[in-house]
Amino acid sequence: MLELLTNPPIALTFQSFTDIDFWTSVGILAGIYTIFTLGLQLNVGFTGIFNFGQAAFMAIGAYSMAILVTEAHMSFWLSLPISILIAIAFGLIVGLPSLRLRTDYFAIATIAAAEAIRLFALNARELTGGAQGTFGFGDDWDSVSETIEGWIADIGWTDVPTLFPLFLVVWAVALVLMLVMSRVQETPWGRVLRAIREDEDAARALGKNAFAYKLQSLAIAATLGAISGFFLALNLKFVVPEEFLPIVTFIGYACLILGGMASYWGVAVGAVILWSVLEGLRFLELPLSETRIAALRFLILGLVLIGLMAFRPQGIFGKREEMVLGD
Amino acid sequence: MTEGGTRAPAVAPARRNGTIFEADGVVKRFGGIRALDGANLSVGKGTITALIGPNGAGKTTFFNVVTGFYRSDGGRAAFGGRDVLGHPPYAIARLGMVRTFQITKALARMPVIDNMMLGAPDQPGERLLNVVFRPAAWRRREAEVREQAMELLEIFNLTPLADAYAGTLSGGQRKLLELARALMTRPRFLLLDEPMAGINPTLGRRLLDHMQRLRREEDVTFLFIEHDMEVVMNHADRVIVMAQGRVIADGEPHEVRRDQAVIDAYLGSGTVAAEEQ
Repeated sequence: MLELLTNPPIALTFQSFTDIDFWTSVGILAGIYTIFTLGLQLNVGFTGIFNFGQAAFMAIGAYSMAILVTEAHMSFWLSLPISILIAIAFGLIVGLPSLRLRTDYFAIATIAAAEAIRLFALNARELTGGAQGTFGFGDDWDSVSETIEGWIADIGWTDVPTLFPLFLVVWAVALVLMLVMSRVQETPWGRVLRAIREDEDAARALGKNAFAYKLQSLAIAATLGAISGFFLALNLKFVVPEEFLPIVTFIGYACLILGGMASYWGVAVGAVILWSVLEGLRFLELPLSETRIAALRFLILGLVLIGLMAFRPQGIFGKREEMVLGD
Repeated sequence: MTEGGTRAPAVAPARRNGTIFEADGVVKRFGGIRALDGANLSVGKGTITALIGPNGAGKTTFFNVVTGFYRSDGGRAAFGGRDVLGHPPYAIARLGMVRTFQITKALARMPVIDNMMLGAPDQPGERLLNVVFRPAAWRRREAEVREQAMELLEIFNLTPLADAYAGTLSGGQRKLLELARALMTRPRFLLLDEPMAGINPTLGRRLLDHMQRLRREEDVTFLFIEHDMEVVMNHADRVIVMAQGRVIADGEPHEVRRDQAVIDAYLGSGTVAAEEQ
């Protein structure tokens, strides 16, 4: 008891908070999830379709790129657009039969499709390496990374974290995508999507082919999911099935809710806060085992989300009026 | 027009302008119930036609079937000589046959002006490729559409609410918005499901005046479901009466109100019978 008083059980190791390597990693994760969740925002926040299979698009992006480079010996740069096309094709295969269903059935269909992809990756060992995964696709990226490191060194910063170029590129891409998505949302095309979110039948009665728009929305989410998959693969340097568990999509939803519905900028804020809290809690020193602390992080995240729902249901960037209005 | 419950519907006399819409033996079943049991009707071009009938007669179901929202189980329907049954709602709407809903479908979390502008046809910016490659074209169209939308909002007294979320509007205002939004599509044939319900009499008159003007100036045809017999008798050129999924009478208001089949169908609700006295 006396020991507890002199050595408080809860403490934070402060040197970690200034550890640039650590925050670079957190920043990369936040950037990857920003891109990932932009797709969810388009689907859920702007089209009203509940895509619970975003992890599948991420998986397809990562695996296609990895396999095309290592097995088909394709150029890394060429593998990227092809991987996006594969993800879009998968999105259309899932969407064509299921987007005509009610939103809740669509949600079930997408989560099932995502799990099918993950289990396929786990078992098609010839193609994917099974549980061991695929690696050895990062050479082209590594040379880019070194070039960027050289530029940074030229400015005068020499002890650059190895992952810092990836951090820069992830966020550059994320910012461009946020900007593009926000701009596109303000066009007549974006207006039709919002109308479908509000009332699909009203949109159809006004001559809008709601189904085609929902497919487009899903195809763009697939593109964004695939891009996030590229960065995930480059960050890990390998691709394994367990990186694409359904929880990945759920974390995306947590970012979405934190940042607020119908805001692309909110997605970035949500992702940064979520990953800062989740990873920052690693430094919480408690008299508990590692695994318990790991579980506790998610517990705390859950409490944060519950608190947010209670006190600020619209999230950080969402509009309160849009939460309370409905037919 | 005489007594006798189950005779064929009164055949409407030839119309001056011809027929714009024709339904022939339209059937819709829900399980064992025949909500539409071979409905035949035609609507003359440039008319304001009322569709009346007791609750459950199949009026709204008829709208849902002929505008593509429900799949029909038989019969045919043609708008301007083109078959519409079996086509999706958006395709039928694009032909110029546009409907509104009994329970309004205001796009709640969108401003009134966006609700309106959504209705406009021929907006190239609704296609993703044009958004990217033809920004000038859709921006130009957007400006035109905004102007038309503001003109219509003025007519329906909604101008001050242009930037309000549609979800903040009252029930009556939503009805007006829905009609105004339908007009944005530049329809040739409008199917209105109880357009007057929940609207105060002043606005209701404004709405009727506007219908008359559209019919006169732009040759728009109207088919509207209505329960208010005063409105039907005073403002419709023709009245079509449905009961139990069929059309039981079709004629000018003064003919229909004396039709024994109509009086029988309404027994219990008593509305037309009351009009008679």
